[in-house]
Amino acid sequence: MIARLRKLRQVSPFQIVLVTVFTALAAFMSLPIIFIFSHAFKPKNELFLFPPRFLVQHPTIHNFEVLLLHASNATVPFTRYLFNSLLVVSLTLFSVIVVSTMAAYVLAKYKFHFKGLILSLITLSLMFAPETVSIPRYLIINGLGLNNTYFGHILPSLASPVAVFMLVGFISQIPNDLMEAARIDGASHLGIFTRIVLPLSVPAVATISILTFQTVWGDVETSTLFMQKEAMRTLPFYVNSLLSGLQNNVAGQNMAAAAGLLIFIPNLIIFLLFQRKVLETMVHSGIK
Amino acid sequence: MGSISFNHVFKRYKGESRPAVNDFHLTIDEGEFLVLVGPSGCGKSTTLRMLAGLEEISSGELYLDGKFINYVSPKDRDIAMVFQNYALYPNLSVQENIALGLKLRKTAKHEIDSRVKRVAGILEISHLLERKPSQLSGGQKQRVALGRAIAREPQVFLMDEPLSNLDAKLRSQTRAELIKLQQDLKRTTVYVTHDQVEAMTMGSRIVVMKDGIIQQVAPPRQLYDEPANVFVAGFIGSPQMNFMNGTVEVSDGNYYFSNKRMRVPLSGEQGLRFQRLSGLTHNIILGIRPEHVLIKRGSYEKDDDYIPGVVQMTEQTGADSYVYVELGKIRLIVRTAPEVLYEQGELVSVNLQMNKLHFFDEATEMAIGRDEA
Repeated sequence: MIARLRKLRQVSPFQIVLVTVFTALAAFMSLPIIFIFSHAFKPKNELFLFPPRFLVQHPTIHNFEVLLLHASNATVPFTRYLFNSLLVVSLTLFSVIVVSTMAAYVLAKYKFHFKGLILSLITLSLMFAPETVSIPRYLIINGLGLNNTYFGHILPSLASPVAVFMLVGFISQIPNDLMEAARIDGASHLGIFTRIVLPLSVPAVATISILTFQTVWGDVETSTLFMQKEAMRTLPFYVNSLLSGLQNNVAGQNMAAAAGLLIFIPNLIIFLLFQRKVLETMVHSGIK
Repeated sequence: MGSISFNHVFKRYKGESRPAVNDFHLTIDEGEFLVLVGPSGCGKSTTLRMLAGLEEISSGELYLDGKFINYVSPKDRDIAMVFQNYALYPNLSVQENIALGLKLRKTAKHEIDSRVKRVAGILEISHLLERKPSQLSGGQKQRVALGRAIAREPQVFLMDEPLSNLDAKLRSQTRAELIKLQQDLKRTTVYVTHDQVEAMTMGSRIVVMKDGIIQQVAPPRQLYDEPANVFVAGFIGSPQMNFMNGTVEVSDGNYYFSNKRMRVPLSGEQGLRFQRLSGLTHNIILGIRPEHVLIKRGSYEKDDDYIPGVVQMTEQTGADSYVYVELGKIRLIVRTAPEVLYEQGELVSVNLQMNKLHFFDEATEMAIGRDEA
């Protein structure tokens, strides 16, 4: 018995290799993140050092000061970009979740005419590169008169084939018995959706939230193409403009480094937050 | 309260020539425990789902308490259903699972609380109310599913193989509890199973189905003693009834069943059944249950009552032993006391208890005589 326990405690060479390889892989994958943090605190001479150094030698918050100074002197205040970004991201996230889950529920669990056709159209639209649709998008936004409105930011990302596609796969795994039990219990179609389907889809919703957040938060396309008024543009556009266009390329570098970190942090937070949720719900959902 | 009437109900699926449920015509009385039993694909679950309102009825009418309910939605039928896989909402606690049906029906909160408490008390799950379904064992889930149905206090309970996911011991225990519960609540219950033991022990009346068609509707005892056809005779009872083909002939006014292996005289009453049929010889299937066959050691060639045979194998169950005897090409299962051990290849003699014979027409496979007698 004791011998057996001792044997269990022994780690096999395979496990050692596995842990080493994965640790190395994880370390390699985290390099860009470390770089972003380190870069933001580099003084100007280190930013332009050749060959470049990976880690900062003399950390300073000077970059952030320059960025704040620049932002407070700009025609449109920094906070306006931030407000636009937050508003657009939260509205988009909310509407993408509502639209995609509803569409996916119906596509996964109901029978109706042309269902196969609709599903294959959604799959087909997954294959288009984003660049190919920017001209039609512009025409639509322009035609609807949505230039310089928040809806112009939101509409292009509203129909998310990736989200619908993922959710259809997920929701179709929810047993039909549950829905039938709910029907007998007296739930309406909307009741089944909100009380049963939506709570059970939380892992998938968390995943599409991460994807949608990252796309929308970093998106400059809507600001560049559909927004002519500076006051309607979003944070990523502002950060981009520090490096290109009107500004001095060299002078902009330190601000860009600081802004790069600031704009990356929400991404990181959202990811960590939702990723834990994904695991949690997968463990406790009890679907399997 | 809770009487159900099926009036020539059919269910046809697109692209299938044979109806899944074929002319289901039956009245279920108030408070009855009706069991639908049959092999998989016999239409028993479809029938239950039509009653629940989860499947459309292709033709025919369905009445609950005399009210036409073909097009009434499931939530307005005043029924509750227990599913095979329990179908507990994984995102809700046990308490919320039981309460959801009441909540959706806008029951007052204090009423919900008291009903949930009472149901949990009856089913002994009071200590589990805060747990999520994933933290429950199979038996506990089963109770919660049952509790969800009971809390609603519906007119009719529908159960779709609710015990099939439990292990054998728990199954027989829960079976007994279900019977008691039904007797206490006195609610009409329609129970679907493929297990004939469950059907026999639970049902006050049993419906045997095959290929969407009702084969027989009868109380358990009658179903066992007087099966309407070969299918029912073979389906009910374990090990299954022994069948052998042969003919019934008349000689000197007496009736005999005979085939290559045996010639058995029939009693006067049994002969009468054949008298009513036209013709002198009838091709029939003779059926006899394993417990109605007597077995003796050794061969008694000269004795008219005993037929010689060879033991092929023996199965011990503890309480009984089943001896497989070969009579030429006929294979007979005999249920006997476990004390006497029969060896493989041993010569034995078997005797069929004459008053326990079942006769079926070879062409139609229907029972001969009994009903009309």
